[in-house]
Amino acid sequence: MAIALLSLVGAFLAFYLLAANLGWTPPVPCGTGDCATVQSSEYATVGPVPVSGIGLAGYVALLALSLAGLQDRLSRSRLIPFLLFGGALFGVLFSGYLTYLEAAVIKAWCRYCVASAIIITIVFAATLPELKRIRTGGGR
Amino acid sequence: MKNFYIIILAVAVIGAGVVFYAIRGGSPALEPVDLGELGNAEMLELAQPAHVFGDPDAPITIMEFADYQCAGCMRFAGLVKPQVDAAYISTGRARLVFHDFPLINLHAHAFLAARAARCAGDQDRYADYHDLVFDTQNGWSVMESATGHFKELATQLELDADAFNDCLDSDRHADVVTANMRLGQAAGVNSTPTLFIHLGGGQAYQLGGAGFLDIQRAIESAGSGN
Repeated sequence: MAIALLSLVGAFLAFYLLAANLGWTPPVPCGTGDCATVQSSEYATVGPVPVSGIGLAGYVALLALSLAGLQDRLSRSRLIPFLLFGGALFGVLFSGYLTYLEAAVIKAWCRYCVASAIIITIVFAATLPELKRIRTGGGR
Repeated sequence: MKNFYIIILAVAVIGAGVVFYAIRGGSPALEPVDLGELGNAEMLELAQPAHVFGDPDAPITIMEFADYQCAGCMRFAGLVKPQVDAAYISTGRARLVFHDFPLINLHAHAFLAARAARCAGDQDRYADYHDLVFDTQNGWSVMESATGHFKELATQLELDADAFNDCLDSDRHADVVTANMRLGQAAGVNSTPTLFIHLGGGQAYQLGGAGFLDIQRAIESAGSGN
């Protein structure tokens, strides 16, 4: 349940960043935390895809998986906890890489990106008990 | 379990509301601020604006403080300013008075970029250079030295290269850019882009990181008081 709630919050955060990236929001000002620098850096996209779009897709997938895992008929599935754990692991590693870029390469911090990194780390921690379900296939 | 779905629904509704507000919002001007030093004729004489976009005698004055290396200013120049141009500047209703406010603690090339644009202004090509500097910001802002790039831009615009290079390699315009920074500081500018929409009577709406709707709202509520 915590995974679903946090993923939902993360999805909103990623959507806001995506909107800023696509120019749907007013320009993010410089001098009050440097979100604008991070958002306009070459690392803000992977090819043509904004990083925030990848984040949004990831959070929506985690939300859907966690809600699916709460359904009675899927409670003994091993696939769902596996996908949840794998997705969160990928998310936390990707987020860690982006945080490293902010600190060491871009040298500017975007508070929304940091908030997202914290959320995905907590989501990952919350998926650790899923490892037991992967091994045993046990329900909740 | 039912409670859980209610909580999820509540978070979804609240989240959607917050994001909608954030996307729409910016920092709307709710109350006018005193122009203070922006109304000080002596200070304004020292801090000559870099450029005036539009009719210098237009009834509405929008004053912008911007930093060429700020990504928010780049987005303002590329996304918001064209809308302001179409609605207010090209129609003669407003003029946009552009002031330099390089955030020198954050952006290593911002001061030089401001001077470079003024060097282009010496050859009456300020507006073109302004657009080109913002268009290429992603490239030059990560360079170790941007001097060569700024000279290259002057060549692209077919400026008199010798005159431009002499200007850029000297300390020309450093005094007036500095005066612009002091003017902004005195007016309480601490981030860019910051706009002041003059209301007359020594008052203005101050907008930070504004979108077109914020500007439109401020101008319309200012009415014809300028």
